[in-house]
Amino acid sequence: MTRDEARAVLERALRAVKEGEGEAVIGGGRSHLTRFANNEVTQNVSERRYVLSVRVVLGKRTGRASGNDLSQSGAERLAEAATTAARLQPEIPDLLPLPGPQTYRTVDADDAATARLGPEERAREVARAVERCMKAGVTAAGIYETGRGTIGEYGELGTLAIANTRGLFAYHLGTGAAFRISALDGAASGWAATESYKASDIDGDALAARAVDKALRSRDPVAWEPGPYTVILEPAAVADLLTDTSWLSFGALPVQEGRSFLSGKIGQRVVGENITIRDDPYHPLHQGCPFDGEGIPTQPTTIIERGVAKSPVYDRQTAAKEGRESTGHGLSVPNTIGPLAQHLVLDGGSGPAEKLLEGIDRGLWVTRVWYTNVVDPKTATLTGMTRDGLFAIEKGKITRAARNFRFNQSVVQMLQEVEGMSAPQLVGGVVCPGLRVRGFHMSSVTEF
Amino acid sequence: MKDLAQLALDTAVARGAAFADVRFLESEREDLQVKDGQVGGVDRSETRGIGVRVLVRGAWGYAGTDVLTREGAEACAASAVALARASATVRREPVVLAPEPPRRVTWSSSCAVDPFTVPLERKLDLLFRVDQALRDVKGVSITEGFLTFIRRRQLFLSSEGAEIDQTVTRSGGGYSATAVSDHEVQRRSFPQSDGHHQCLGYEFIESVPWVENAARVGEEAVALLKADPCPAGEFDIILEGSQLALQIHESVGHPSELDRVLGMEANYAGTSFLTLDRLGTLQFGSPLVNLVADATLPHGLSTFGFDDEGVEAQRWHIVKDGVFSGYLTSRELAHRVGDGRSRGCVRSDGWHHIPMIRMVNLSLMPGKGSLEDLLGDTDRGIYMETNRSWSIDQLRYNFQFKTEIAWEIAKGRRVRMLRNPTYQGITTRFWNSCDFICGPEAWAPWGVTNCGKGQPGQVADMTHGAAPARFRGVRVGVGYDD
Repeated sequence: MTRDEARAVLERALRAVKEGEGEAVIGGGRSHLTRFANNEVTQNVSERRYVLSVRVVLGKRTGRASGNDLSQSGAERLAEAATTAARLQPEIPDLLPLPGPQTYRTVDADDAATARLGPEERAREVARAVERCMKAGVTAAGIYETGRGTIGEYGELGTLAIANTRGLFAYHLGTGAAFRISALDGAASGWAATESYKASDIDGDALAARAVDKALRSRDPVAWEPGPYTVILEPAAVADLLTDTSWLSFGALPVQEGRSFLSGKIGQRVVGENITIRDDPYHPLHQGCPFDGEGIPTQPTTIIERGVAKSPVYDRQTAAKEGRESTGHGLSVPNTIGPLAQHLVLDGGSGPAEKLLEGIDRGLWVTRVWYTNVVDPKTATLTGMTRDGLFAIEKGKITRAARNFRFNQSVVQMLQEVEGMSAPQLVGGVVCPGLRVRGFHMSSVTEF
Repeated sequence: MKDLAQLALDTAVARGAAFADVRFLESEREDLQVKDGQVGGVDRSETRGIGVRVLVRGAWGYAGTDVLTREGAEACAASAVALARASATVRREPVVLAPEPPRRVTWSSSCAVDPFTVPLERKLDLLFRVDQALRDVKGVSITEGFLTFIRRRQLFLSSEGAEIDQTVTRSGGGYSATAVSDHEVQRRSFPQSDGHHQCLGYEFIESVPWVENAARVGEEAVALLKADPCPAGEFDIILEGSQLALQIHESVGHPSELDRVLGMEANYAGTSFLTLDRLGTLQFGSPLVNLVADATLPHGLSTFGFDDEGVEAQRWHIVKDGVFSGYLTSRELAHRVGDGRSRGCVRSDGWHHIPMIRMVNLSLMPGKGSLEDLLGDTDRGIYMETNRSWSIDQLRYNFQFKTEIAWEIAKGRRVRMLRNPTYQGITTRFWNSCDFICGPEAWAPWGVTNCGKGQPGQVADMTHGAAPARFRGVRVGVGYDD
């Protein structure tokens, strides 16, 4: 949907608002995904989907209605439902008036070739990867996904365009491509992935080669005892841990409610001096949306600088509580979640993660982690499993495969024990390096 | 509705599909939230669209669209066929579907009071009364409550002649109180952490004692701040029903999905330790353990007349007298376990997503005795209630759960409240340590509404019935013992 088409849909919706003020949001686009397993394509899907959301504000009351009928009558139905919802509810004392027009930075993340990519091209790329796995005697499983618009991994829709009756209008169109592959040899497995806004960055064969190498090296794992280990976490593992920590701790709402490890700690040293964490949708590897769910321009925000807590990210409501400006990290209004840092950047070092091996007498190499969940919110303690390539490090070298561990680890403590960093890369929606961490808590071993 | 679905079906067949099915879905949803005495959201949403699934040269293609015109339906079908042709270039074995007689039938879940006709003020009044009762408890920092109502109507047509019109109405809600100190964030939820949901109308909401439990929930959240920490070590543990429901979900339900077992989820959710050679031979649990998959369970969240392949709802054992006995299957994969017919486990979360094997309702059959009987039979143990977090490895062996609250049991009595209870185990060892399951009077159905699976990710809901049960010699206190 072009800028003009989006503007037309939103203006039609705003004209349908007959009482009070209105906000209209559209999200969606096209998404295509080729899925493979057992060395063949098992699923090949495509969707075209848009959802229009209309919010009506009647003083301190507000209601929202959403639907995928973008016609005039559809917009009128939504406006009426939102008005009814607003009218019938009690006032929200903290509700802010709609914002006026804003100015946005331009982000160029729309690649026409990616948008045009068809199922035949995806099948060819998958075939190259499958062939590589079959030659190595292992089994391939994975996805090649492309899309244009704001359809998320679980079908959730981000904001493509937003407008309101005070004259605000924002629009951002981007493409996306991701290739993820697992190579399996019984319970031994390896994994590799690339994500970018350009499909031309995808090389299925090269990714398959990396996954195959790890799968073959994962055979016959040794069962080491649980306990604290010096680990090298590849960027995929770091990204997963940081994403959970962001949900728990980096938004202003958990900080204000006392649930975050940053609560009461702004200006104080909270992690190691070598740690700087930012949220920055304009980072060249992110190329993310330049505005938030209220249409407020997103400001690059330093959350932790050289180990010192600087600032959570804010939406208008949490910012108003502290008499400051929003950083443009809000979700659609109203919500109970608060602002979110969704374009994380952990500053890193240079070179590959392998350079971090030197001097480790006995440690573990973690390709990625899986099924992380919160054990203790206040200390950002997470549990989860290692997966798809856990290797023993002995006397500075990777020597053999290790059986996968369950870990229970405070991310705050982890960021106090970082001994080295590789070059950052984009993985799992986070720009981050691989980390060498001392004393990572492996708490139980599994069966493979 | 039917005309466009039929047009899409005819177009798919005309373009070369050897098999095709079309789902035309329309759904509506209402989400109400109250937090800390204020409205947190009043959202109404609706969606309509078509999903076309085809087999061409033994390979799948699927396309979904919300362009509900003749041109949109035709283009969607053409896209599905093109996707299938591309799939066929990287396909080794053709997909063959287990036979299923095509039905022409209409089915609805029961709904006495249409939740979409109940006035908004009445629903919000309930949430505000609960919220006030929670905030009346001194020391409660955060209060949250919600109600959710969903109606989904689906017309299913297939090239084999099926025409199935189904409507499901779901109602649910829940609330929590959170207490915060310098070092702790403690939460209590009612009646479980994900709320309470059933496929019923507003009569379900009116049957639950929401307000009556609010003061207790708030008081427990505050008390947890100063409760003793849960000890670490090996203990006999007793799990309350809703926690056991999630244990069933993660350690029994997912590993018995046949697509996982056969490697089709390997890149994302993982595979399974329940390999084909273990069917009928693996001592999954103690002889007390009977786990039954049941798409006919009254008011269950995955109770239906027919699944999204047109297969009639069924009931069968996954674990019978402790022995692993059955899988969750589809028409595509049933033959891999020697079945001539699918078990009817294929569902999608919308018109835009391809149907796949999803858990149906899966319950632990009750044993004998009340919770008090079970506690009285326990000399030393820990009773845990209400899930707070969960995690399990990609083959579904090693799990870890945290509950909101626990009590130490000594000589058959609750002696003290415990904060931050966790337990960890290996699936079959855990289920084999089960030596007491309470009876029908303590058995209840618990809904799960956030089950993620697939690429693109899909969210499904299902119900797990359970009564409190005891497990011997389980590792407790993980995550707080370093």
